[in-house]
Amino acid sequence: MPIHDQGYRRYEARGPLREIRFWPITREALRMVLSKRAFLGLLALSFLPFIVRAIQVYIVTRFPEAGRVLPVDGRLFGEFLNQQVGFTILLSIFGASGLIANDLRTGGILVYLSRPLTRRDYVLGKLGVPLALSLAVTLVPGLLLYAVAIGLAPDQFLRWDLAWIGPAIVLHAATISLFVSLLVLAISALSRSARVAGLAFFGLIFGLEIARQVIQNAFGRAEAMLLSVQADLQSLGASLFGLPIGDLALHWAAPAAVLVVVALLCLAVLRARVRAVEIVT
Amino acid sequence: MAEERGALVEFEDLAVSYGLVQALAGVSGAFPPGPTGLLGPNGAGKTTLLKTLLGFLTPDRGRMSAFGLDPTREPLEVRRRLGYMPEQDCHLPGMTAAGYVAFAGELSGLPRDEAISRAHEVLYYVGLGEARYRNVETYSTGMKQRAKLAQALVHDPDLLLLDEPTNGLDPQGREEMLTLIRDVATRRGMSLILCSHLLKDVERVCENVIVLSQGRVARAGTIRELTGARRQVFDVRFKGDAAAVLTDLKDQGGEWREEEDGVRLFLPDGQGPETVFRLAKEAGVQIRHLRPGVETLEDVFLRALGHEIQG
Repeated sequence: MPIHDQGYRRYEARGPLREIRFWPITREALRMVLSKRAFLGLLALSFLPFIVRAIQVYIVTRFPEAGRVLPVDGRLFGEFLNQQVGFTILLSIFGASGLIANDLRTGGILVYLSRPLTRRDYVLGKLGVPLALSLAVTLVPGLLLYAVAIGLAPDQFLRWDLAWIGPAIVLHAATISLFVSLLVLAISALSRSARVAGLAFFGLIFGLEIARQVIQNAFGRAEAMLLSVQADLQSLGASLFGLPIGDLALHWAAPAAVLVVVALLCLAVLRARVRAVEIVT
Repeated sequence: MAEERGALVEFEDLAVSYGLVQALAGVSGAFPPGPTGLLGPNGAGKTTLLKTLLGFLTPDRGRMSAFGLDPTREPLEVRRRLGYMPEQDCHLPGMTAAGYVAFAGELSGLPRDEAISRAHEVLYYVGLGEARYRNVETYSTGMKQRAKLAQALVHDPDLLLLDEPTNGLDPQGREEMLTLIRDVATRRGMSLILCSHLLKDVERVCENVIVLSQGRVARAGTIRELTGARRQVFDVRFKGDAAAVLTDLKDQGGEWREEEDGVRLFLPDGQGPETVFRLAKEAGVQIRHLRPGVETLEDVFLRALGHEIQG
């Protein structure tokens, strides 16, 4: 008997079902995404604003007169996170637009759903990928920047009246990451091609942003902001960090409501599309 | 519930529909331990039955139990004990076979180290040992089928569901796949349901068979029971108008089916070729060829479907 023929043996050590079943899905998908050099390059590039902001904090703490040109206060973190929205979108396009689309194309979805996994486990596992990537470029550098600021200028930042900065960073980073992740995943579930899903996501985000700017410039209506999910996210950040709102002059509840509605739509799409059996009636 | 002692899967009056289309119309039966064939033409409801067993579909009525569990209520516990090889292509893009099968094992609940170790063993077992570090997307159809079998086997299921496992394979690949499946069932002692519309595939592997037709169970039993020597079979070529012979044959309790190069006759037990010669003589028809045959599963299958046998 060839040695390889001795291979198959029964497995007797079956244990109880895992409590956290989605983790292998997230881990494996992240491993595959992070194995691409170009993607790692993009990830590294998205830390550039953090470095720039950290230098800004350093300069202002060392040369206080520079603070007149580049003010360093709570608003710095809001501006930084709003800037990172673009990177979360890019990382989602290249790292997450094929997550479900590819499984639909290759039938891989059956590999998951014929296992002891629920559809929710599957979606959570996939959601973990854009969520981790987005948090890596919002929450992590946001908190690091805050730590740098405290480290370099404890007198300026370690004050009770600025204690809101930490929770605000967590809240805004979580909102951006969760929303972008849900959106890219829902669009991925609507296609069988990663490329089409990526283009659709890109078109939706940047197309609507361009439309917003055109409408806002042409008619001067602040409501146009509601069209663009990117502007809605930035508007929330502006409200949270007290940034000058400029042309995003709507009460924070309006963009928040739009984002909630879009998120619910995304969940509905995922519920309809993530199935082991495609039912055509 | 079907009273089959020790059956792994039982179902009673099971009805499943896709919208207005009824795929299963109140089927009852059981899958005993060992290899069982699930036969039927396309659209008979075979895959629907498997998908209901996997908990993907909720029955409109009726009951199903697998290992004593209800797949609708406890789908995860049921799926943990099942291995499913779907009919259609299913792989994970960008993965090597080793990574793919190990990942599948992990999803089934194996610890990571164990999943990796078993993935290598199973890939050797299905004959992909040398190619296990190749991306599955670069595999030929036959290799993909083997990889699909490996991912279904990796967690050592109690019951293996094979949905058209020889689909798209050339004759040699089909032969190898059937040999492998037979080995799984006999030497490794694993129970399996082989779902196919290819009768020869089922005959090669299974002892029991359930024949589905138009969402109903047409026949069920062991292959021996279904193809046993209940009828005498003859392949005959007539010269002249055979209609009279066949009509007389029907009166004598026989059945027949037209074949490509003649007629296949099914005579009741106790009647032999002399009956055919006598009827031909009476009708003034020549017999140019007569060869005793064996009633195959195909005959049983076609008779179960009820529209091929002219009698």
